[in-house]
Amino acid sequence: MKKKLDIAKWEFLEKVRSKAFLISLILMPVLMVGFAILPGLLASKPDTRIYTLGVIDETRELLPTFSKKLEEKYRIENDLPNYVIRNLWIGGDLNAVRQEAVQLVAKGEIYGFLYIPSDVMLNGKVEYRAENVSNFRIAERLSRTLEETLTEKKLIAAGFDASLIKELRTRIDLRSLKITEGGEEKESGFLQTFFGAYIFIMMLLFMVLSSGQLLIRSVVEEKTNRVMEVLLSSCSANDLMVGKILGLSALGLFQVAIWSLIGIALSLQLGTNIVAVEYLWLLAVYFVLGYLLYAAIFVGAGAPVTTEQEAQQITTYVSMTLVFPIVLAVPATQNPDSILIKVLSFIPLMTPSFMLLRISVQLPPVWEIVGTLVLLAVSVVVAMWGAGKIFRVAILSYGKRPTIPEMVRMLRTR
Amino acid sequence: MLNVSNLRKEFDTIVAVDGVSLTVNRGEVFGLLGPNGAGKTTTIRTILNIIKPDEGTITFDGLPFNERTWNAIGYLPEERGLYRKSKVLNTIVYFATLKGVEPKEARRRGHGWLERFEILDRAQAKVEELSKGNQQKIQLIISLLHQPQLLVLDEPFSGFDPVNQILLKDILLDIRKQNTAIIFSTHQMEQVEKMCDNICLINKGRPVLSGSLRQIKQQYGKNSVHIDFEGEGGFLKDLPMVKKADVYQNYCELELHDIRQSGELLAKLNGHLLIRRYEIVEPSLNSIFLDVVGHQTSPVAP
Repeated sequence: MKKKLDIAKWEFLEKVRSKAFLISLILMPVLMVGFAILPGLLASKPDTRIYTLGVIDETRELLPTFSKKLEEKYRIENDLPNYVIRNLWIGGDLNAVRQEAVQLVAKGEIYGFLYIPSDVMLNGKVEYRAENVSNFRIAERLSRTLEETLTEKKLIAAGFDASLIKELRTRIDLRSLKITEGGEEKESGFLQTFFGAYIFIMMLLFMVLSSGQLLIRSVVEEKTNRVMEVLLSSCSANDLMVGKILGLSALGLFQVAIWSLIGIALSLQLGTNIVAVEYLWLLAVYFVLGYLLYAAIFVGAGAPVTTEQEAQQITTYVSMTLVFPIVLAVPATQNPDSILIKVLSFIPLMTPSFMLLRISVQLPPVWEIVGTLVLLAVSVVVAMWGAGKIFRVAILSYGKRPTIPEMVRMLRTR
Repeated sequence: MLNVSNLRKEFDTIVAVDGVSLTVNRGEVFGLLGPNGAGKTTTIRTILNIIKPDEGTITFDGLPFNERTWNAIGYLPEERGLYRKSKVLNTIVYFATLKGVEPKEARRRGHGWLERFEILDRAQAKVEELSKGNQQKIQLIISLLHQPQLLVLDEPFSGFDPVNQILLKDILLDIRKQNTAIIFSTHQMEQVEKMCDNICLINKGRPVLSGSLRQIKQQYGKNSVHIDFEGEGGFLKDLPMVKKADVYQNYCELELHDIRQSGELLAKLNGHLLIRRYEIVEPSLNSIFLDVVGHQTSPVAP
């Protein structure tokens, strides 16, 4: 055991001291913050400017109600209206006015303009033109307000009382509540659930990839520089394998821990809710077992590798199986009971990811949990055994990569 | 100390080692010789428990390889290399702790060795910043810092300049005095002749010659003539009394059919060559090697 720990310590310390580790330690959170937070900040940032929008109202009756509604509904700081409506057509040549409106947009006097044709009451077709039509918020608000205006007009025309209409209109504000085990209701949106599970899978993916890659790299390095032989005259191949897995897992865990701390500190600063994950222990079990399974696969697949390029390929293939569940993550959270998801949960390579997702959404039936856990644990044992066999023989093979039959023979050796 | 008997190891289709037996005692330098691909490295790896033999037994002081044996052996592989990005002293300490030396003690001894090899100022440098020769010194330190009882050195002299070769030789003799068994695998016969007590010569996986160096030489008898000369020596190998010739630019080793013909030989040389030295000797290990291995025409690098 002492030798295993010595090896683990060395692998850990040497990698922690390396520049590459320091860079990834800093760079990754920066990227994460960039990817995760910035778009959110940008998208939800409230408007600070007033948009002047032109309207050509061919019906000659919608404009007053429409502009009043729009100005009342959307406000920015200091209670200023978000949108100011300018009537562009009082009469005359419609085409000329439209030409003019385009000029106004070009000159920047108005942001865009809305053309309401006279037959809008019949087919509801209107046109919005602006230089930047990808600002979907404006388009969406315009159409929604116009819709309300039209509905109101139609109802009044049908003989409804105006005050009644106001009463009929109820604003819907959907709050989704998740029922937890204690019967307690907790506010939690779909996104939060999704994100909670997602973080765990990302963490698993990240740890598997980073320590898996380091593992292969370190084996390749020791094979290239022949340190392997000196090591094997000091300890058994098994010591070496276990030591490496221990050391590099500790490294991955250390990295993830630091990032989690950064993440928690950041969200406390920003005042965001920290998702409290239930069944943390169960998640942890899947996490650890899943990690060990992948570690074994990396060892078995990586030991025969002799060059960095091959190592890269192997990492890519193995990570695919981990990424696959992420692709299916959205349907899985939306419909955790689907047969496909259940079946996939029983494939050991995907068990960790899917179960992490499913447990966060809704606790699966006990038999499924027990079943997947047993299957996963058995695969870990088998994979570790096989990896150990291959590792023992393959770490001394230089030159060409062994073929599949050769790998099978390695498994059969005493 | 070490006893190997009837070792056999096969790889897929080739028999790498077959029937190798040897005994190495404490305080002895044992030469494991053989041409390239003879099975030396396989033999060494099997002794060091890096690979398992198919047949045969290996014992250390009568016991099979066990947990404690790891710490009693030291190994310098033929192909050299270290962790390139790690610091010199850290690397030394790591390998020493793997061999069961306390880190503090390892650091102290590491210092001592770096001093003896005159590279103490490089202790905190990264390995990759060192010259090839200095890296080799580090590897040598790694192989012997834990004071192994059995030290296995594969071509220890290659890559060292003459000054360092002498330093290395002195160190090996010191270690030998401390009652360490040293196995020395090489094809540099000169070094073997200077240092080894017993040898085992392997060819194509089989032992072809083994025993004490002195006995082997006696066994091959005094039928060799060494000549230092000036002139064109090409005709030497065609002389009737010469059984075998190994001719260099201004030196040759001749094996005669009968040593009594040496006077005849000397007479033939007169007028053709300027003789600087003419000596009847035991055959050099090199010529025995060539003889046994059967590469009379292609001399192995001395």
